[in-house]
Amino acid sequence: MDRLLRALETLGALIVFIGQVARAAVTPPVYLGETLRIMNVLAKRCIIPVSLAVAPVGAVISLQGISIFKLFGAERMLSSFLGTAIFREYSPALASVMVAAQAGSSIAARIGTMKVRGQIDALAVMSVDPVRYVVVPGVIACVIVAPLLSVLTNLLGVLSGWVFAVPIGGIDHGAFMENLTAQITPADLWIGLGKCAVFGLGVGLIAGYLGLNVGRGAADVGKAANDTVVSTIVLILLTDYAVSMALLGAGL
Amino acid sequence: MIAPLIDKVIDFARFVVLALRIQFTRLPPRDVFVTQFVDAGWGSLGLLTMLTIFAGLNLSVQSYGSFERFGGQDLLGMFAGIGGVRELYPVMAAVVCGARIGANLAASLANMRISEQIEALEVMAVDPLRYLVAPRLWAVTLALPLLCGYADVIGLAASYAGAVYQLDLDPGSFIAQVQEQVRLEDIGAGMFKGLIMGWLVAVIACFHGYSVEKRDGAEGVGVATNLAIVHGAVMCIVINLFLSWMIYG
Repeated sequence: MDRLLRALETLGALIVFIGQVARAAVTPPVYLGETLRIMNVLAKRCIIPVSLAVAPVGAVISLQGISIFKLFGAERMLSSFLGTAIFREYSPALASVMVAAQAGSSIAARIGTMKVRGQIDALAVMSVDPVRYVVVPGVIACVIVAPLLSVLTNLLGVLSGWVFAVPIGGIDHGAFMENLTAQITPADLWIGLGKCAVFGLGVGLIAGYLGLNVGRGAADVGKAANDTVVSTIVLILLTDYAVSMALLGAGL
Repeated sequence: MIAPLIDKVIDFARFVVLALRIQFTRLPPRDVFVTQFVDAGWGSLGLLTMLTIFAGLNLSVQSYGSFERFGGQDLLGMFAGIGGVRELYPVMAAVVCGARIGANLAASLANMRISEQIEALEVMAVDPLRYLVAPRLWAVTLALPLLCGYADVIGLAASYAGAVYQLDLDPGSFIAQVQEQVRLEDIGAGMFKGLIMGWLVAVIACFHGYSVEKRDGAEGVGVATNLAIVHGAVMCIVINLFLSWMIYG
């Protein structure tokens, strides 16, 4: 009972927090410089881990896919499967997981450190709304950076898939390209990017919330960073499933 | 930019050699090993269960969407079985549990470093590598294959539930395809991958935690934790490609 109440309390606090962030995001003043600075930092930090994490996935799909599709003599269809899987599912999900691991934890750690050092309270004393100045730029940066990284990983994923399908797997290059372009529609691309923006929003919000509600000491900052990663991964998989079901129901 | 990176890689290589030597020269202290093993294995079960359920459901629903385009939706069982057991579940177990376990390892070792507990061990003539690092390496290396096997079970059940109850596919055909296509070797290969990835996650986390210096302070702990998570996840995914290539290529 006690635990249930506490969970409800956290949920309520989270909803209030999301409301605050939403209001601060749409009303002036907007700290554009701070947002751009964080975007720059995040993009630089994430680009290598995200690329390294998503590129092998395309290769693995090709590697395993060839043996499955060969059973039916349909290895020409591999690229259409590869394309949709990368564009719609693996690139958004994995890119966001890596953004959560890299950017989310660093945002939470940064906000948590500010909180522990009393800088957040100092901002409030100077009548700068901490949510507006510290949290919102991080959230906006995540929402914008995650899809941008996903565009890159889409290309890398398909490229590494091509390497394992054509030169190594022995599939005809023409057939690969033809099936790839025949099956991937712009809708696939937009669905993937949309998912990424949603996941990025989740990363930014959770990181901001856990960072602002950090405990007292340095160890709590590490814990906040950790909790951000774990809870965002759970959230990403859960949302991904809900979105997939909705899309399937809508016939997209 | 490049020179510190090379230094770091050399440091890491040195640490790996040390780690291998202490791992294979003598048995690790038993009590520490048991505590760490329970923490890494049992402690990850809740998180892993929840994530694998959604990953299994996702695998069914998403590949249904892709296969429907060329009329292959009846082969879902085969795909969910092979794709899941060979690739998805081992990698997911390694990445997710690796993030959790690796972060814990790095944070605790880094914390000991900045509070001078590691130096204290040295003063008492206890080799900190043997006493702290070796049991942790063994614990994670042995726990992850078990977690991979567990993820296989939960994931396949979730894929089945997704395929049969949500997508209205024929249950008999799903089970027949899984039984026909998924062999014991596939499960063994997945667990072998878990073994390798578990060792890798542990050695990366211990390296980052162990190489924090006292003057880095609390921020050093945070940095070590973050690096452990990110490097562990990336290395798992990259090494998985090479393992798959070796085993199935």
